[in-house]
Amino acid sequence: MNQAEVSKLISQLRITMRPNKRHLKNSEGPEGRLLKLRKTVTALVKHERIELFYNRADEARGYAELLISNAIRYGDRHKATMELADYWLLEKQLVHKLFKVLVPRYENFSSSYTRMLKAPRDYPGIYYKKSVLEFRGNPFPALVPDYTQNRNLLHNVLLDEARKEFRREQLAKMANKFAAETAAPPALATQENDAGN
Amino acid sequence: MNVNARVLSNRLAQQCSLKRIVTFSTKPTQQAAAVAVPQQKDAANSAPVRKPIVPAHYRFVYPEFLPDPKVEWRNTVREKLERLDMLDRRRQIELPEFYVGSILAVTSSDPHAAGKISRFVGICIHRERCGLRARFILRNVIDHQGIEVVYELYDPTIQKVEVLRLEKRVDDSLFYLRDALPEFSTFDEQMEPETLEEGTPVPINDIKVVLRPRPWLERWERQNLLGVANIDQYIKDKHRKSAEKVQKPWEKYDMMKHYRATIPEEEQKEIFAEVHTELHTLELQRKRNKRKRSFVKPKQLA
Amino acid sequence: MAAATKLYKKSLGFFAQIQQYRSNANYTAGASIRTRNELFNEEQRRQREAVGRIDKIEVRYLGLPEDVTLVMNSHISTPYNCAQHLSEGHCQRAVLALLDGSVPWDVHRPLQESCTLQLLNFNVSEPHVVNKAFWRTCSFMLGAALQRVFKEEAKLQLHSFPSPNIKSGSFVHDIVLGAQNWQPTKAEMRAISAEMVKLAAQDLRIERLEVDQELAKEMFKESHYKSEQLPSIAQQNQSRVTLYRLGEHIDISRGPMVASTRFLGKCTVSTAHKLTDEGPSNAFYRIQGVALPSGFMLNHFAYGLLEQRSQKLNSARLPNEPFEDQRQMQLS
Repeated sequence: MNQAEVSKLISQLRITMRPNKRHLKNSEGPEGRLLKLRKTVTALVKHERIELFYNRADEARGYAELLISNAIRYGDRHKATMELADYWLLEKQLVHKLFKVLVPRYENFSSSYTRMLKAPRDYPGIYYKKSVLEFRGNPFPALVPDYTQNRNLLHNVLLDEARKEFRREQLAKMANKFAAETAAPPALATQENDAGN
Repeated sequence: MNVNARVLSNRLAQQCSLKRIVTFSTKPTQQAAAVAVPQQKDAANSAPVRKPIVPAHYRFVYPEFLPDPKVEWRNTVREKLERLDMLDRRRQIELPEFYVGSILAVTSSDPHAAGKISRFVGICIHRERCGLRARFILRNVIDHQGIEVVYELYDPTIQKVEVLRLEKRVDDSLFYLRDALPEFSTFDEQMEPETLEEGTPVPINDIKVVLRPRPWLERWERQNLLGVANIDQYIKDKHRKSAEKVQKPWEKYDMMKHYRATIPEEEQKEIFAEVHTELHTLELQRKRNKRKRSFVKPKQLA
Repeated sequence: MAAATKLYKKSLGFFAQIQQYRSNANYTAGASIRTRNELFNEEQRRQREAVGRIDKIEVRYLGLPEDVTLVMNSHISTPYNCAQHLSEGHCQRAVLALLDGSVPWDVHRPLQESCTLQLLNFNVSEPHVVNKAFWRTCSFMLGAALQRVFKEEAKLQLHSFPSPNIKSGSFVHDIVLGAQNWQPTKAEMRAISAEMVKLAAQDLRIERLEVDQELAKEMFKESHYKSEQLPSIAQQNQSRVTLYRLGEHIDISRGPMVASTRFLGKCTVSTAHKLTDEGPSNAFYRIQGVALPSGFMLNHFAYGLLEQRSQKLNSARLPNEPFEDQRQMQLS
């Protein structure tokens, strides 16, 4: 039951995060691990879509997300953020890209800034899982086709027809009700007439 | 800082608008101004709408309301129940704002000495744990003997917590006082509470303590302490070298490590929005009581 | 070619088996199904042998990963064989083939001449053809499931299924049962649905065969309703009749159908409506259901709405209406 650290304020990640870090087998220890991840983050910022082993991509993803969210939160006049960008981006021209391209792109995003997809592994090859890590809104053609917009898919056709039929029924019901209301007074009148007779 | 969602006091709003311009400085200035202006308008428009405003300093004043960030131990229901219990306790007893480095007087009863109470005055050298288990360590030197007492903040045997001097120190915990000269952790038991003017920020005491010669309880030279004056006096080159070896300068940049040690801002807002009104009323009540106590009716003489 | 020989051998073995059965054939429904299958196999073998000299055709495949030209065997190679040249994924995903950009073609039907070929699945941008084929296959599979589910005492006779209309919200199979007031319970409907799911799990290949009217008459001589329908169906198609087989179940349909029962995902057989009495003790029933292709995710609330809607009586033409009108629905 440790106290949460309060000196720093960090925006919530929009991705699911593992509770523990992966060590990413490295003879240099934690520093070497970070160097590996720095290379990955740099490549991601540079190319916007990279294919790599799943574990490394999953680790680097959190860092890329936090780097962007920090850049959005503090801007480029904040010394600590600038140091952070300087550390994480090995190619220094990418610091400009971070603040001038990525920050404006993601300022009003409500979803995560990156997307990760599982990729097929080479056969025969190394048995590690592979994945594709990319920035949202990148200039490349989409990797996954969007099926949600196609109204002609079978379930969409069925649902559309069900909705139309429901509306028709509702309209018919309303029309019947209206007809009954307008028809009611004469019916009453005839009853009265009958009574009078 | 997310300005749109919150209503801010005038001063805060000014600061934030400044910050906004800073954020947009990568854009051409006209555009930045154009963006900044509508946001001020937004703030002005949303002013009449009453929303709970959680002050930004709450996370320092009430750190125990934030749960442990360890994912495996999170349980939102338990956390919520614990917060309710904490508020219940706070309604019974005044638990004031204090920090590591503040001087406190705690009056508590002892389960082994029925009907007796004890009052201990000391400097808070450490705060740890969260929720109902939150606790702090007080240290004092009494009769040339260093004494430390661990108090649980929500312990029902505690009867009164007074802050005699509200201040912070430059380090997160002051365990090095155990190895410092006794005068740095000696405090008068009859000390009168010092009052701070309302609205002033909590002062930071940057006093440098003087350590005794080695041997020490811990290897202080490895901990990058700011509040110690004479570490260099006692360590040799081999200590310096080994201290350098264990430094982890990269941890400053390990964002995920920090993230895993903190509660993210959005969640903090949610938690404090839940307890804010209650805490605020308690604070106001305390202020009123204090004023009542301090006002003494002048006696008619002769 | 190797695949074809293998199939041929397999069918020969099956043929020998059937021959044994034939010697002590009796006139139960099971026996009639066996005879029908035997005839089907024989005709299939005969057609394969009749190919004679093998002509090569050029099939231009359009689609992912790249457009290629394949040299295939006329009247032997199927679109499935073309997919085998591409990848395993193509084989598994191909639901229906589209020749020359317009002619829907069964995946397991031999190609006749040089053409362009597209392999369709349920997610293509214009899936009307595939959807229709899927709906038709559902009706066909429902027939097979009913045949498996009902005992002989129920005196089940399959009548026909009307042309697929997805917008009606349900697929249909019309049957005749030897009971005039059958009120299906929920458990009974669920049993039929389960049979459909079992069929899907068996991953049965759906075979197509075009036969002469005479042969079809012989195959369906035990089935009163089918032999009644046959002449008009044959009249439409130069006295040829298209048959489809799924496991042991054979039915008349114009096709096309999807490649395998595997493509049936979520499926519910929702109701059986009684249409009219037929004779002194029989009655027409219309069995209805709704299904989604495998891999289509739909939350259970939305699917529940579809299930509810599928319980309403489908407005497709009734089996007891004049036969001339019915011909068209049978020829769907």
